[in-house]
Amino acid sequence: MALLAENGIEVVAQAADGPGLLRVVDGHKPDLAICDVRLPPSFTDEGIRAALEARRRHPELAVLVLSQYVEPVYTGELLASGESGVGYLLKERISEVRTFVESVKRVAAGGTALDREVVSALIADRDRSGADAELGALTARERETLELIAQGRTNAAIARELVVTLGAVEKHVSNIFAKLNLPAGDDDHRRVLAVLTYLRATGA
Amino acid sequence: MSDNRHRTAKWSVVQRAALAPSAVLALSLILIWALTGAGYFWPMWAMLGIAIPTGIWFSLRWARMQREPTSRRYAAHAGVSAVLALAGVAIWVMSGRGYFWPVWPMLGLAGLLALHRAILRPGQRSLEVRVDELTRTRSGALNEQASQLRRIERDLHDGAQARLVALSMQLGRAEERLADRPETAALIRRAREEATAAIAELRDLARGIAPPVLADRGLKAAVESLANRSAASVEVRGDLDHRPPPVVETAAYFVVAESLTNVVKHAPGATARVTVTQDGAMLVVEVVDNGPGGADPAGSGLTGLKQRVEALDGRLEVHSVPGDGTVVWAVLPCE
Repeated sequence: MALLAENGIEVVAQAADGPGLLRVVDGHKPDLAICDVRLPPSFTDEGIRAALEARRRHPELAVLVLSQYVEPVYTGELLASGESGVGYLLKERISEVRTFVESVKRVAAGGTALDREVVSALIADRDRSGADAELGALTARERETLELIAQGRTNAAIARELVVTLGAVEKHVSNIFAKLNLPAGDDDHRRVLAVLTYLRATGA
Repeated sequence: MSDNRHRTAKWSVVQRAALAPSAVLALSLILIWALTGAGYFWPMWAMLGIAIPTGIWFSLRWARMQREPTSRRYAAHAGVSAVLALAGVAIWVMSGRGYFWPVWPMLGLAGLLALHRAILRPGQRSLEVRVDELTRTRSGALNEQASQLRRIERDLHDGAQARLVALSMQLGRAEERLADRPETAALIRRAREEATAAIAELRDLARGIAPPVLADRGLKAAVESLANRSAASVEVRGDLDHRPPPVVETAAYFVVAESLTNVVKHAPGATARVTVTQDGAMLVVEVVDNGPGGADPAGSGLTGLKQRVEALDGRLEVHSVPGDGTVVWAVLPCE
C-alpha cells in the first residue's frame, strides 16, 4: 500500500476477503481493484471469483490480480470477462517497482498487463507444436517485441525496454502483424487480444 | 532372519537327540539277531516299529515350523500321511511282496489329504481378509501422503513464499530510493533478483506436487487447463458429481498430463479427446488421439503412470495400433 501511495496512486479502501472486495468496490467505485488469487477463508481461487463478479457488476472496473503462480485458466477467464483493464501478474513483479507501477497505471487506464511468464508459456506451447512457420518467421527482435506486446506494453514502453527508438518498435510491430496475418489496430488492448488469440489458437 | 536361524539350530539338536536312542536300539537288535544264529531277519519289524513313530514325530516337528496355523495343520496331515504310506510299502516289501495292496491305504490317505485341502479354503479366506486390510491401510497411507503434500504446498505458499515476496518488495522500494547511489542500488538489485529466483524455485516445487488449479477447482478444471496449454487441439468431455480423494485426483491428472505430452511429442498435428467420468466408485480417465499410433506401452513415461495407477489398485491400459491412433485408458477406485 505504501508502495502505491509513494507512486501517486490513491488507495481508497482495503478488504480482507472476496465478499469484502465486492462490498468495497460497490461502495467506492474505484478505477482499479487489486487482489490476490488466494483469499480467506479457503485460500483457493476466491480472488479470481471475486474479481470476475466485481467486473460482472461493474464492467468498467479495471482489475489486477496478483498471484504466486501462473494459471492460464484464470488469465483466460479474466481476459474474457470484459473489454479492457485487466492484469494478471506474479506477486514478485511488485518488487520491480517502476515496471509494476507502470502496469498498475496501464490497467487502470484500460490497458492490459499479463505476466511475462504467462506470455512465454503461451509462446513456448505454441512453438512446441513445431508446425508454426509463422512464428518461426519472426526475427529474434520481433519475437521479443511480440512477447512485450502480449504482456500489454505500449510501444513507448517497449522502446524503453529494448533500448531502441519508437520508430524501430513501430516497424517491428507492423512486421509482426504482417507475418502473423493479424489485423493491425491502434487500440493497445485490442492489439493484445489479437496477439493472445493468435498464440492460443492451435496450429493444427 | 534371526528367528529362522534360531529355529534351525533348535531343529538339529532335537534331531540328534531323537535319532541317537533309535540308532542304539536298532544296532542292539541286530547284534542280538546275529548272536542268536542270524536266521529270519526279525529285527526289521522292530525297526519298522521304531521308524513309524519317529517319522511321525519328525513330520510333526517339520509341520510346526510352518507360519500359518492352517498350513501347519495341513503340513502335519501331509507328513503323517507320507510316513504311513511309506510304512505300508515297507510292510509290503518285508512280507514278501505279491499283490500290491498298499495302493488302497495310499489312495485313502490321498483322498483324506485332498479333502483337507478342500476344507482349507477358510484359510484362504483369512488371507483375503488380510489382503483387504493391507489394501485399506495402503490407500490410507497414500491418501495421507497426498494430503500432506498439499499441506506442504499450502505452507510454502502462505509461509516462505509470502515472506520472500514481502522481502523482494521491500528490496524493490529500497532500490528506488537509492537512485543517487548506483553502487548500493546495484547490490540491492542483486539481492532482489536472488529473492525472485528463490520464489520461482519454490513455485516450480509446488507445481510439481500438484498444480494449484487441481487443488482449487478439481480434476475437470485442471484437465481443461492442460488442454488449454497443450499445443495439440484437445477436447475435454465428461463430468464428475463429487471430487475423488486427492491422491486419485493427482494420479488421474498426471495420466492426462503425460498422455497429452505424448500426443504433442509423438503425434504432432493430431487432435485428442480427454474423457473424465465416474462409474460408481470408479474414476475413468481416457485420452484418445488420432495420431499414427504404435506407442510403446513399456516406455518409461507410460510405465511410471501404470505404477502410479496400480499403487492405487487402479488399472491402466494403452492401445496403440499403428495407423489407428492411441488410447490411454485408466480406471481408479475412489474409496
